[in-house]
Amino acid sequence: MSIPTPQPAVEASGVYDADVRLYFETHRLYSREAQLLDQHRYADWLELFTDDLHYWAPVRTNRLRRQQALADGAPGEVAIFDETKASLAWRIRRFDSGMAWAEDPPSRTRHLITNVMVHAADEPGEYIAESAFLCYRNRLEREVDLYAGGRTDLLRRAPDDGRLLIARRTILLDQNVLLAKNISTFL
Amino acid sequence: MTSTPARPMDRLARVPHPSADVGAYFDLDNGLVDRTVFSDPSLYRQELRRVFAPSWLFLAHESQFRRPGDFFTTYMGEDPVIVVLGRDRRIRAFLNACRHRGMRICRADAGAAKAFTCSYHGWSYDTSGKLVNVPNQGDYPDRFEQDSWGLVEVAQLDTYKGLVFATFNPEAPPLTEALGGMTWYMDAMLDRDPEGTEVVGGVHKWVLEGNWKLAAEQFASDWYHVNISHASALMVMSPNGKGPKDGIVQTPGRQYSDPLGHGHGFPTHPKSRFDDRVVHEWYDYAALRDRLGDTRVEGPMTTGHATVFPNFSYLPVNGSIRVWHPKGPDRMEVWAWTLVDRSMPDEVKNAQRLYNLRTFGPTGIFEQDDGENWSECQATAHGFMSGSLTLNYQMGLGLQEEDGVHPGTTGRLYSDGAARGFYTRWRDLMNTPAWHENPGKDTAS
Repeated sequence: MSIPTPQPAVEASGVYDADVRLYFETHRLYSREAQLLDQHRYADWLELFTDDLHYWAPVRTNRLRRQQALADGAPGEVAIFDETKASLAWRIRRFDSGMAWAEDPPSRTRHLITNVMVHAADEPGEYIAESAFLCYRNRLEREVDLYAGGRTDLLRRAPDDGRLLIARRTILLDQNVLLAKNISTFL
Repeated sequence: MTSTPARPMDRLARVPHPSADVGAYFDLDNGLVDRTVFSDPSLYRQELRRVFAPSWLFLAHESQFRRPGDFFTTYMGEDPVIVVLGRDRRIRAFLNACRHRGMRICRADAGAAKAFTCSYHGWSYDTSGKLVNVPNQGDYPDRFEQDSWGLVEVAQLDTYKGLVFATFNPEAPPLTEALGGMTWYMDAMLDRDPEGTEVVGGVHKWVLEGNWKLAAEQFASDWYHVNISHASALMVMSPNGKGPKDGIVQTPGRQYSDPLGHGHGFPTHPKSRFDDRVVHEWYDYAALRDRLGDTRVEGPMTTGHATVFPNFSYLPVNGSIRVWHPKGPDRMEVWAWTLVDRSMPDEVKNAQRLYNLRTFGPTGIFEQDDGENWSECQATAHGFMSGSLTLNYQMGLGLQEEDGVHPGTTGRLYSDGAARGFYTRWRDLMNTPAWHENPGKDTAS
């Protein structure tokens, strides 16, 4: 019985070194991001975004099947988040004020990021990354909230060192009525 | 022999619902409230019968209905309702339940429809509520009267300056009478613009484990919590980012308490402290003074908070209008719209929208802390001792007066006056048999 010769499986299955590197980089970015959020290191988290960031989570509505085009909130409508880097900084300053009682004592959160897919965008150095998230929040004694959904990001390489930054984020939270008293973290 | 029950609510009067005298839970002259009223399940059922069913309740904003067939689904108390614009351009509201087996006939939040067809057996209703199709009709007896089985319509529906209200109560006074003296204060938000108001697309909805009255009462009466609960938000919003000036704690203002349970607190100063800059700069304050009068521009148009009894509340400066839907004694759903003036340019409307969602959306820097307060007030009511606590509503006791400036009875900004008014109204309704309990009367809707 002979040991099979290792095949150049990379090419046969359409996986290239560059894809692996991009996928790894994206995954590492998201893992890092989740860790910063779960450690409440929001100022460091904000460093993962470009200055022209748009961070958006539209409201999801129940619509008849023939009106599905309207099911996800449109730009300019009521939204859960509709943020710039400056407005996120504003929210973060509140957390750091020492008087943000809704997070004192702080919640325990665990952001799980999975189902990552990433491909090059039209502009050089830009990529579209899709991911799924599950954020578990446990608060005080027995409060449990689950925020689940998908994210579509536009990633862009930083001009100085080429690391990936998040330039756009659209968050589709898979809930109609938000099943929590608030969202006191980021998704 | 029984005939077709043509009147859908006849049964109400025949089934006794034991009701408790809630007078013992209150000593409002001395500012005392027993917190049992926030958690007792049987009081909650009584509340649906005697507070929600007989009262005018907020449904939607007129601007949500542009073309015939446009509909929006919501709740009146715990009753699901469809609000729809008919072909005659009349807004109607119906119980969102099929007359056949009670199936929810419309499960979309909003949209456009020519008819509502039940997905269980196919009974179909037009936008005026008429039953227009019954599959296998030939198998019903001759005495089946299709016209008698239309959707159950609210008894009265009316609008006030863009806000749509309805009641199941055929004996309720007209809407403007039910709003009473509150309209003078509401106009500071609803009548700033000759073109009126509209709402931004979409509704914020979230759920929290607290009795609906905790929120309704706070919006009627509670400026007091602002400096403490929202200290972090005030700090972020202050010009130097280091916290509100001491003067803010001593903010002068008034609080209106309406005999029908409504309430409205507001600082009194010419320039609102919380305004979004873009919105603030857009307003022509001289024109507003002509239109609304100095008193309203320097009072209820500022950073106020208000509740229209029982469960509609608003924040004029943030543009948040909202309903506290009761979902059991321990739970409410908050449904919040963003209100803008119709003639605002798009960029001003957008600034108002963003300001509202960042302050009072479910992720808002103010709203987060309110949610924590209400859910924890509810959680501590579950004990026998803690749930029987008498709570203190004494702030501003004895200081209610007619100040000669603001219509009706007002007290200081820092006061429980409107909360005492809210609970006086709640208590009186709880102790008064509703129209549906009077068997001698016609209860047709």
